[in-house]
Amino acid sequence: MPDAPPALELRGLTKRYDDGTLALDNLDLSVPSGRFFGLLGPNGAGKTTLISAVSNLIRVTAGEVLVFGEPADTLSARRVVGLAEQDVNLDRFLTVEETLVYHGGYFGMSRADARARAAEMIDVFDLRAKARVRTPMLSGGMRRRLLLARALMHRPRLVILDEPTAGVDVELRHELWRYIRRLHSEGTTILLTTHYLEEAEELCEEIALIGGGQLVARDTAAGLRERYGAESLIEVYIKTVGAGRLASAANGSGPAAQRVV
Amino acid sequence: MSAVEAASARNATAAVSDRGWRGGLSGLGWLVRRECLRVFKLWTQTVLAPIVSSILFILVFGLSLGARIRDFGGLDYEVFIVPGLITMAMVQAAYNNTSASVFQGRQDRYINDVLSAPMHAWQVNLGYAVGGVVRSLAIGLGLVALAIPLTGIGVEHPLVLLAAVLIGLIAFSALGTIVGIFAETFDNHTFVSNIVILPLVFLGGVFYSVVALPAPWEQVSHANPLFYLVNAVRYGFLGQGDVGIGLSLAVVAAFALPLYGWAQWLFTTGRKLKA
Repeated sequence: MPDAPPALELRGLTKRYDDGTLALDNLDLSVPSGRFFGLLGPNGAGKTTLISAVSNLIRVTAGEVLVFGEPADTLSARRVVGLAEQDVNLDRFLTVEETLVYHGGYFGMSRADARARAAEMIDVFDLRAKARVRTPMLSGGMRRRLLLARALMHRPRLVILDEPTAGVDVELRHELWRYIRRLHSEGTTILLTTHYLEEAEELCEEIALIGGGQLVARDTAAGLRERYGAESLIEVYIKTVGAGRLASAANGSGPAAQRVV
Repeated sequence: MSAVEAASARNATAAVSDRGWRGGLSGLGWLVRRECLRVFKLWTQTVLAPIVSSILFILVFGLSLGARIRDFGGLDYEVFIVPGLITMAMVQAAYNNTSASVFQGRQDRYINDVLSAPMHAWQVNLGYAVGGVVRSLAIGLGLVALAIPLTGIGVEHPLVLLAAVLIGLIAFSALGTIVGIFAETFDNHTFVSNIVILPLVFLGGVFYSVVALPAPWEQVSHANPLFYLVNAVRYGFLGQGDVGIGLSLAVVAAFALPLYGWAQWLFTTGRKLKA
């Protein structure tokens, strides 16, 4: 029996934006199926660009993106990817329940299945009291939960979480961790970006550090610590992708150091 | 999150299954439903307001001033202006619907939910266009329902009327989609509506027959695609127009095709939609 294709494979992925910014520079990356994979790097490293390329939300300049062996822009690839974006991008005209049901519909679920799954997601993410409330009326934490519920609505095999716990309180963060862990234990591949390094260390089986649109290092958290002779992932981060940012912060050019550490 | 354990157990097999997959056509249906839902949630703005303003035109220009305006091919003035007013309300609604919906989706980035979904570009383009057509038809039907008892207007050629309306609405829905994709601010959207569409409609013979215009204005009017749409709709209602119905439908179709093709190209390539 042939090996299963990786959940995600990037071959020579390059993205240059119209203003000339090179966000991804000939990046190769393979994420095995079922892996909990962390993607770390400073702002502007190319994490969100990478995620957007996988989710069919940018036009790549060069290279290939394969999802479970299928080109990312095919319908079969798109239907197995679930994305919770960094920014809260909820349809302002829809209620919580409609947000989920319509998303399910876009992704090919039948009405009955979408309704049942939406009810399930609403319970899981504790949104029952707000099920018929339009999204602009939700609190920040509720919007964040709804984003995650929407990403999981169509039962994707590859779930991409772009800073899913940014701006949520500690209690909700741990609840989200529990659910994400459970999803992973069921075989779902998870690609997580986060600025909380302890979150990556806590959740991810493998971590890739990217900077300047290139893959800088990749290993387990323990492997990275060992390779760089570091006591913590933060130290690895600073030694690799964070070094330049911290230097510029030390020169008084930004809040990068505070954000990272 | 007390339901986590139970939900996880139910998801155990679903996480990698194809359960419930219905293909891309389902997505098109849901996008159409979403566009219609938006229209009917905001029905006072999207449907009622254009009906009220058009009825006011009929009352003020037609019933009040109409008695003093004669010689419109044997028609009362209030009857003569109804097709043009209905056309005006419908094309503006078609344009406004798609341009606002696409622009808002881009601005708030929730259009990403559609762009990342397993739908073909033609389905997304069609889904938005149908939303504009549905809103416009709701307005058109409402206006016809009110105009018949007010003016006594009838429908002489229903199939011609249907064809003209559908082609015209697809054209203006597509124009709205294009503007919604290119617009950087909401002002861009209103600029096209107020500075381009409204003058073209008014100069397209809504309130008068272009035959009555002196040279060169009659000839200039023939360069306005809206003139042919108004003419075709008028022919559908009244059985008469300033130019032949075949020419009118052909010009309207020639106007619609490149616009719809342009919108399709934007969705296919992702230009302005995807960085």
